[in-house]
Amino acid sequence: MASIMEAKSPTTIAFMEQAMQQAKLALHNLEVPVGCVIVKDQKVIASGRNRTTETRNATRHAEMEAIDFLLEQWQQNGISETEVARNISQCDLYVTCEPCIMCAAALSILGIRSVYFGCANEKFGGCGSVLSLHPAGSEEFPSNGGAQRRGFKCTGGIMASEAICLFQSFYEQGNPNAPKPHRPVQTIG
Amino acid sequence: MMSATETTEGWEILHIPPADLPCFPPSQFPTVDVVASQLDPKLANTLIRRLNQIAPLDNLRHLKRVRKNFGRGGNTQLSIILCLAHLETLPHNVLHLVNAYHLTPFLTKVAKYAASSKEEWQEQCQLWPTSYHPPTYNIDGITGFSEEDSQSVFGFMNMAIKLAKSTPQVVNAAIIVDPSVRQVIASACDQTCSSHAPTENNNLETDCKESGIASSKCQVVETRETLASNRDYEQTESLSGVSCLYPWTWSERHRHNGNSYSWHPLRHAALVAIEYAAARDRRLFPGSEHAHGQSIEGGHVPPSPKSSPAKKPKLHTSREEEGPSLKTCSNGFNSDAVRPYLCTGFDIFLVWEPCIMCSMALVHQRIRRVFYAFPNLKCGGLGSVHRLQGEKSLNHHYAVFRVMLPEETLKRGRN
Repeated sequence: MASIMEAKSPTTIAFMEQAMQQAKLALHNLEVPVGCVIVKDQKVIASGRNRTTETRNATRHAEMEAIDFLLEQWQQNGISETEVARNISQCDLYVTCEPCIMCAAALSILGIRSVYFGCANEKFGGCGSVLSLHPAGSEEFPSNGGAQRRGFKCTGGIMASEAICLFQSFYEQGNPNAPKPHRPVQTIG
Repeated sequence: MMSATETTEGWEILHIPPADLPCFPPSQFPTVDVVASQLDPKLANTLIRRLNQIAPLDNLRHLKRVRKNFGRGGNTQLSIILCLAHLETLPHNVLHLVNAYHLTPFLTKVAKYAASSKEEWQEQCQLWPTSYHPPTYNIDGITGFSEEDSQSVFGFMNMAIKLAKSTPQVVNAAIIVDPSVRQVIASACDQTCSSHAPTENNNLETDCKESGIASSKCQVVETRETLASNRDYEQTESLSGVSCLYPWTWSERHRHNGNSYSWHPLRHAALVAIEYAAARDRRLFPGSEHAHGQSIEGGHVPPSPKSSPAKKPKLHTSREEEGPSLKTCSNGFNSDAVRPYLCTGFDIFLVWEPCIMCSMALVHQRIRRVFYAFPNLKCGGLGSVHRLQGEKSLNHHYAVFRVMLPEETLKRGRN
């Protein structure tokens, strides 16, 4: 399959490395380590990391952070909705863990072109693990004067073991945010 | 399928269960034919093991394989299901067992689906024993609402409907409520396209009592006329501002006065309300991100020991917004004890059923109960298209209710 070749291509790995850097930054900030970058024309135009603990907002996933940054930038530059939609349709997301159901739906709403992810998200995944929100719309949702449901291409398993390693070190370092009965926190540094 | 739980003056609260289980009146549940046989109790273990291998009851897991009867003289008689009776002859390997153990096959009817209530289960067991698993969670309201609680629900839903109509174009509205003190925690409208800078709206932080059910009836009638009766040609126009109904249309909007707009395709009412609730949490309980002792997993859970399900926090009686009393609290005076984990224990009231994105956001933020007035047939995440409250793999499950508005009041309003 073409996607497997693509998944192993040096550029795909290079972008995923950058997403992984974001995930490490999240880990350093005592957040669940997930990171992402958004790429357009072979350039990283936005990055994001999980900030759910800091914000106490469990929807502040890496994807949402990167999307918000991008939309704010484009809006400040006076780019219209139509142009933004066209821009996003030329963007790819590289994220260390399969987008959850919320993020997968958000990426479909925005109309991103494709998503490359690391490890699967068995409990919350919206790109195949729990629900599949990435295939394009069908007759099931006829466009009723409104725009069609948009799908995106999805490729998983890129640097999956590295992504899982980060999760493991998050729990091994004694998750400071873990529920109380858990083992005591080890302070880092 | 919904089951009515409470009716109060034309308003009604329907529980939307985690699974769309077929619900049948007692004695009218569908059955399926199986081939069974009496057997010597000594053979039971052997036969159960063999039959589970060669003729598993894959879609009939609610059935017990063996039935125990008390025959005359007090001796127990066992019967066992051999296989489904959809074939004209027994499968070869089943026939082999029948011959080997001198079984006496007979046809019998069994319940086709797992029971959805204790009553149905008792009926089913008259035919053939089944297992019954009542809902594993127990959230207030699933078994009915008290008059007082119903009035509170109607009051908050009414508030949400008013909020949805407070903007030039009808939008979705979300109100997060702490039901233990009936206080609004956060409220928001869709901000996918806002002509004014979004501001945190705390004006609505008011008791349910103040919202006045009785005095607001005519408002409801008016709203119902606008919202519910324009399904056909008007719908795409007048409801096009409801983000959860039309999440994909944002790119088709055309602006006339360029820069003064702020817009964001994902700022649906529920997401904005969650953001406000989180901001309130940070304001009321500053500086305890890492002291609180609970993980905010953010929807990415690796293979690792799972945390125990979120429990309802000990709720305090007073939660004033600002003021000196809070300073004491925020300076580290046992603030952990009163700070709820995310929106644990809180309800959300939405005019329209949330889309799948918002539905999942509400799972992440640990909302306890979701109430909505109108279904979202194209994108709904809580019964219409998807049913997140029934996705077993998720780490949190809320209860979902639809609040029906009164028909009679609607008719009276027309005259």
